[in-house]
Amino acid sequence: MNSSKATSARKQRFDSIVSVFHADMYRFAAWLCRDRSVAEEVVQEALLRAWKSLDSLRDDEAAKPWLLTIVRRENARYFERKRLETVDIDNLTASQSALLAEAPSDELDELREAIFALEDDYREPLVLQVLMGFSTSEIAKQMGLKQGAVLTRLHRARLKLKEETASEVNS
Amino acid sequence: MSHAKDTMNCDEYAKAVTQNPDFEDRSGHLQDCADCQAFSSEMLALNERIRAAMELPVPALRMPDLPDLETGNVVALPARRRWSTPTWFAVAATVLLAAFLGLRFAGPGSPQASLESQVLAHVDHEPMALMPSSTPVDEARLQRVVPANVARMNHESGLITFAETCPINGNPIPHLVLQGKTGPITILLLPDEKISETKTLDGENVHGVIVPVGDGSVAIIGTREEPLEEVRKNIVNSVAWGV
Repeated sequence: MNSSKATSARKQRFDSIVSVFHADMYRFAAWLCRDRSVAEEVVQEALLRAWKSLDSLRDDEAAKPWLLTIVRRENARYFERKRLETVDIDNLTASQSALLAEAPSDELDELREAIFALEDDYREPLVLQVLMGFSTSEIAKQMGLKQGAVLTRLHRARLKLKEETASEVNS
Repeated sequence: MSHAKDTMNCDEYAKAVTQNPDFEDRSGHLQDCADCQAFSSEMLALNERIRAAMELPVPALRMPDLPDLETGNVVALPARRRWSTPTWFAVAATVLLAAFLGLRFAGPGSPQASLESQVLAHVDHEPMALMPSSTPVDEARLQRVVPANVARMNHESGLITFAETCPINGNPIPHLVLQGKTGPITILLLPDEKISETKTLDGENVHGVIVPVGDGSVAIIGTREEPLEEVRKNIVNSVAWGV
């Protein structure tokens, strides 16, 4: 295969993977950083890094965890650079508020706020399980945790959301 | 609401279903327990609402300018890419770091990047290698990547989960990954890179060393929190260069 054919095949492979998983990449980034603009920035950097290291992805079946690992790493880099670690739910930037404002109903808006306010340690495994469809062992691998720790975090995350939504219903 | 005959009680069931609402009860507890049936339905409904709340609208795919990798310079940034402020700062920091390392280690007139900066750039270049894993690389692959005429390693160096042949300074070298205490640890065997003293590596999110081993050297890089001393001892004692 000559070099232009090889480049074209590489680009085709990259495009087909990205077209399938771009939404997952963006949503994962958005729930990690809780900011629409930062999420877009993180995804751009992740796409660039994925392109450069596409050869290390030997099996396209593993593309989703591979891409999400890159997003996770790029998000960490971003916050390492910016030294921003917490989000004050009562004092959000426009870009953070924009993410919350996109809920299609009031009920989902409240739940989205509750997820938004969860600690990073609880929110990330929940997103990986509920939205990305990962098993607890896959989440443990992705996050470098023991499976027991993942189960504990998922348990606590759901209990918190259950309590939050119950108290909102009561109030 | 517990039943003595159950192998799972209500608390255990509630915990399992809170960890995973799709949990499949094989003990028969759910069938006989109305409270747990109600709790299970409640958790499934909550899960569906969580999923709906997490489904954020996704902006249209905006592909960055992808660099031409045929140039061979895979760490180059695309020339016409518009940089936002954070990206600009990151690039500036990288340039300063590279300049610092270059001045400090490569010496004046050095034609290419220092070994340290090449090693750090290479670690960034293999995200697949940085995925935590408990699956060992199969022996045949390990032997292919680390042939006996390049290096010999005993099997006490740790669980190797990634092995690939990669270029450093134009030479193919074995790139291995061990699982450390806080994350993956990258090991680059550098049989052609003789150094006189240990070099320290200080990356954006990682730290490490390049240690002299006989007529070559070995780079060991982990997360900032990873203690590398023990791994370093094991690796240095375990590697012998081939003939």
